[in-house]
Amino acid sequence: MIVATLCFYLFAGVAIVSGLMVVTARNPVHAVLFLILTFFNAAGLFVLLGAEFLAMALVVVYVGAVAVLFLFVVMMLDVNFQELRAGAARYMSVGALVGLALLAELALVLGGMTLGGVEVSGGALPTPPADQVHNTRALGQIIYTDLFVLFQIAGLILLVAMIGAIVLTLRSRPGVRKQKIADQLARTPEQAVEVVKVPLGGGAQ
Amino acid sequence: MNALYVIAIFLPLIGALSAGLFGRSLGDRGSQLVTCSALILAAVLSVIAFIDVGLGHNPRSVELMRWIESGNFEAGWALRFDTLSVVMMCVVTIVSACVHVYSVGYMSHDHSKPRFMAYLSLFTFAMLMLVTADNLVQMFFGWEGVGVCSYLLIGFWYDRPSANAAAMKAFIVNRVGDFGFALGIFGIFLLFDTVSFDTIFGAAAQFTDARIHFLGLDLDAIETLCFLLFIGAMGKSAQLGLHTWLPDAMEGPTPVSALIHAATMVTAGVFMVCRLSPIFEYAPNVLAFVTIVGAATAFFAATVGLTQFDIKRVIAYSTCSQLGYMFFAAGLSAYPAAMFHLTTHAFFKALLFLGAGAVIHAMSDEQDMRKMGGIRGHIKQTYILMWIGSLALAGVGIPGVIGFAGFYSKDMILEVAYGAHTIPGFIAFTLGIAAALMTAFYSWRLIFMTFHGAPRADEKVMAHVHESPPIMLWPLYVLALGAVISGVALYGPFVGHHFQEFWGDSIVILANVQGETIIDKAHHVPFWVKALPVVVTALGIYLAWRFYIKQTDLPAKTVAAFEGLHAFFFNKWYFDEAYDFLFVRPAKWLGRQLWQRGDIGVIDRFGPDGISSMAKRVADRASKLQSGYVYHYAFAMLIGVVALVAWRIIQEGA
Amino acid sequence: MQAAPMLPEILLAIAGMVLLMVGVFVGDKSAKPLTYVVAAALFAALALGWTTPHGDAFGGLFVADKLAYFAKALIVIGAAATVLMAAGRATPSDGSGPMRFEQPVLMLFASVGMMLMVSANDLMSLYVGLELQSLALYVLAAIRRDSLRATEAGLKYFVLGALSSGMLLYGAGMIYGFTGATNFDRIAASVTAMGTPSLGLVVGIVFLMAGLAFKVSAAPFHMWTPDVYEGADTPITAFFAAAPKAAALALFARVMTDPLGDAASAWGQIVAMIAGLSVIVGAFGALAQRNIKRLMAYSSIGHVGFALIGLAAASENGVRSLLIYSAIYLFMNLAAFAFILAMRRDEHAVETIDDLAGASQTHPYMALALAAVLFSMAGIPPLAGFFAKLYVLSAAVDSGLYVLAVVGVLASVISCFYYLRLIKLMYFDAPRDAMDSPMPRDLGLVLGVATAIILVFILIPSPIVATATAAAQELFQR
Repeated sequence: MIVATLCFYLFAGVAIVSGLMVVTARNPVHAVLFLILTFFNAAGLFVLLGAEFLAMALVVVYVGAVAVLFLFVVMMLDVNFQELRAGAARYMSVGALVGLALLAELALVLGGMTLGGVEVSGGALPTPPADQVHNTRALGQIIYTDLFVLFQIAGLILLVAMIGAIVLTLRSRPGVRKQKIADQLARTPEQAVEVVKVPLGGGAQ
Repeated sequence: MNALYVIAIFLPLIGALSAGLFGRSLGDRGSQLVTCSALILAAVLSVIAFIDVGLGHNPRSVELMRWIESGNFEAGWALRFDTLSVVMMCVVTIVSACVHVYSVGYMSHDHSKPRFMAYLSLFTFAMLMLVTADNLVQMFFGWEGVGVCSYLLIGFWYDRPSANAAAMKAFIVNRVGDFGFALGIFGIFLLFDTVSFDTIFGAAAQFTDARIHFLGLDLDAIETLCFLLFIGAMGKSAQLGLHTWLPDAMEGPTPVSALIHAATMVTAGVFMVCRLSPIFEYAPNVLAFVTIVGAATAFFAATVGLTQFDIKRVIAYSTCSQLGYMFFAAGLSAYPAAMFHLTTHAFFKALLFLGAGAVIHAMSDEQDMRKMGGIRGHIKQTYILMWIGSLALAGVGIPGVIGFAGFYSKDMILEVAYGAHTIPGFIAFTLGIAAALMTAFYSWRLIFMTFHGAPRADEKVMAHVHESPPIMLWPLYVLALGAVISGVALYGPFVGHHFQEFWGDSIVILANVQGETIIDKAHHVPFWVKALPVVVTALGIYLAWRFYIKQTDLPAKTVAAFEGLHAFFFNKWYFDEAYDFLFVRPAKWLGRQLWQRGDIGVIDRFGPDGISSMAKRVADRASKLQSGYVYHYAFAMLIGVVALVAWRIIQEGA
Repeated sequence: MQAAPMLPEILLAIAGMVLLMVGVFVGDKSAKPLTYVVAAALFAALALGWTTPHGDAFGGLFVADKLAYFAKALIVIGAAATVLMAAGRATPSDGSGPMRFEQPVLMLFASVGMMLMVSANDLMSLYVGLELQSLALYVLAAIRRDSLRATEAGLKYFVLGALSSGMLLYGAGMIYGFTGATNFDRIAASVTAMGTPSLGLVVGIVFLMAGLAFKVSAAPFHMWTPDVYEGADTPITAFFAAAPKAAALALFARVMTDPLGDAASAWGQIVAMIAGLSVIVGAFGALAQRNIKRLMAYSSIGHVGFALIGLAAASENGVRSLLIYSAIYLFMNLAAFAFILAMRRDEHAVETIDDLAGASQTHPYMALALAAVLFSMAGIPPLAGFFAKLYVLSAAVDSGLYVLAVVGVLASVISCFYYLRLIKLMYFDAPRDAMDSPMPRDLGLVLGVATAIILVFILIPSPIVATATAAAQELFQR
């Protein structure tokens, strides 16, 4: 078990340090890269917990999609982070105070939990024993069977998000020439060609 | 059937709303048509209700909805249809229907007919609410409703300062009474824990020994509450002391005087005492007080009526006097007799008022009797109708045979007063007989001065004298019919030997040891008691004839002989002057002091102005916080949640 | 797994997707017809909810009880009325462009989210419902994307909303951690077994409440409200003010009293604090406002504070008063926004309170209705608003919250000032250039009906009071 413990502290330590780097790094690209590192370490923690599926999902979704998207945005938008940071520095003291207070409070709570020895009773949807059901399967069971309705509603949420993205950003610019293949194919000779009878000596008009 | 009765109650409201809100689009004719037909229909339905509930002994109550529920204070909205309320419904709707129709003619030259009709209908609805109330709060609602309508209608011609002043006077004097009434309601709720009539009446007998401790006084609970309630009745029914508003209320249009200040609203106090008879019966001292006040009012108002020259004021004082009769009947526990007189009085007094309106109409808005006279040939129908009204008011009839409406009801009250064999009863009888004499005198003084003798108006007015249009005369005929037959027709059920069968549970009279009620006693008075009112009435008519037809110099001589007394009567016993000196001027002085010293000096400086400038400073600060920066907002949220968590953790730890 | 109790939501979700397709193929000119269809669908769903069985659905994830039905009725009325009000603005000629067909569809999806969240019987379903609602609202706030103010409002709302969602989730996570359940009934059982709630649970509750307080816009989580109300397109603001408020208040009441009922010692004082702060912020904040939409935002903060006073009582009576309050407030809000939407001069919307000057002369009926609504909002008897406050304050006094009740009364006295100032402007100031008349028919209808409800409440209170009583009773029996 010593290996597992060592791994835990490694992953946890790196996650915290890289999390700190995300907010302190001067170069925004570096910050995003540190974010990716944080995600990787979190995935590592999941693996230690025996939740391989979640670990993989985290890597694929957050590292593969979200963080990369962030990277694109950061690189494409010319945001002057120095200026932003200068503004934020004014509130650093208050922010730090609030953060510390919150930290102290949560420490108290967590301390209370272990010291008070509150027993965490069985969850709402008890996890099947790991030796009988593979955890990916168990997760699937919960998401797609027991809580399928929440899954559906989550789908609706995504739909709304999609509508939102389209409504707020998609613009159809008039006057921009585009190739509309369907229109081209649907054109008939009657629409395209006009047959004019030219009287003798009159010339085409 | 229930639905029909409910419709009867709400028809006037519908009329009022349509004329009031859509008067402009309905037009004058349309609003008049809507309100009149609503009222006539309501009157027909009320008569049906009277036959079913009153004559068929079929009382009921219809719950409309629950209204206010707060703790153990519950007030439903139910309509109570028992004999007492259907009698009042009939009186109210019939007189109101007549007045509505009459108004179409009377107000034909006015500019805001829809408003007038709407107010009249609204008043009728409020009055119906009052009489069909199932609990005290609902009654209070109707009570205030009629008060507001009365205010609106007295001040209907709001461009006349005198009308506005009269409206305010009526409203303020009534506040005194209403304050008593409201205190009474609170007290009843304190004592009985309910405002519902059924529960109160059922429990009244158990509270006869209850006491109220207030400001170191130890008072009998029921007596105190009944006294407070009677103060309310005094205000509304213009009894001695709180009567001053009624004559001034004549500033309103004449149909209003007929409907509100003669036939219906002013009788609400009498109705209230009768309705609460199950409690008043346990307050013998208050009943004695009621008797004395009633008798004194009957006498006082009659004396003032002798001397007035404004035709409407004479009738107004007559109303005041007749209300006094009703009250002393109620005070002697003869509630049926009071209701009987209330009913007959509604017909003949409305008739007299509307007749007077016709005279005023004919005389080009002249109200002073000294400028009338000699017009009986020009307006024959009105003349005859006024005679019928006066005969009914004076109570002319042949004892034991037949008579006009007032003959039955007033004589019944005087018989009750004699038959009571108590000191208040004796006082009431004496004053009542004296008032009867004066009633006859001033009634015929009115007729003789108005219709007989040589014309005293100028030629222009005389040339204009004309009979009223049929639309004004027809309601008068209806009321005249009531003034003639209502006494003989209703005597049996109202106060006959089987009156208890008719009234059912709606009126409670405690019988004496022999099991006799006051009504039974009244039936056994000697013949001279029954005959005396008729004799003094005849005497009064003779005197009037003597004074104003035969020897026209007699009035002046009498006035000269009794100059002081005449001035005292003519100035209404100096009530208005005394009130002005005692209350109005000190109140104005106090008001001015409070305004200049208290309000401007203290409260404005430290109160509203001080607080508002403080509020403005706070508001300015608050809007500075609202900077518009997202991160400020986010910070605020975070600080909020951290602070709340810290607060809880400290609390939990402590 | 029973699905029947959730049929209305299912119907609405399907309707939303179908209408979306219609809109996509027909284009923006379908926007106005779609609003009518959406309103009809909402009412159809409500009617369907009346006939479908009540009870748990989907294995206890959702519950259709009287509270849910009460809240859904308010949601449907609020959403349908505001959707229709928006229809009046479908093709404004002031150059702000035609209404997007997505607008009614998004409003429909937001309504589905609200209906789901008031029916939630599980922290997870609570969250998905809330997010469905919120996301649609974020988009709606910015739907006039060419307007700088609207996009700013949408962005602010989105960022702060995400923060609040995070807090809510964090709280939900802690509650799950300390009770071992997400299902409300099981949380309730666990909390009951716990006796005094553990510190972790308390902190979880506080975080959860922070998220909920943001949604109802209670202080100190209210700061987005004035900016978003002012920035968003007015029909959208009307929508924000009506249905989501009622839904979030009902949800707040359910979460606090159903799963966490036995932890009232932990949250009662927090709710009292939030409520007290809100009424104070609502009262003072509005004093300095000249923009009527900002004013309505502060007014809504104050009203929400008042409703929360009822919740702070932590009693059946208190929840009842909260429900009554939110119902009455819904109607007052609808009427007020119908009026605000009708405030136009030369086809352009005007928003400052000075534009009201002399409205009683130029628009007598509208001014009269608004005056009634403002009097009601100020809590003047015998209008509905007075009774709403009366119920709340009497519940608070019954539970011994005297200080809070006094704060509420004082705040409402202060708030009288700005309501009465509007009335004074309308009735005693000289009219400026007249606003456009007549009022569009849809708006007139909403204004008239809502005002009528406020006026007749004193005579016929039972449709609201009796159903709220039944809902609160059932909630406390579970």
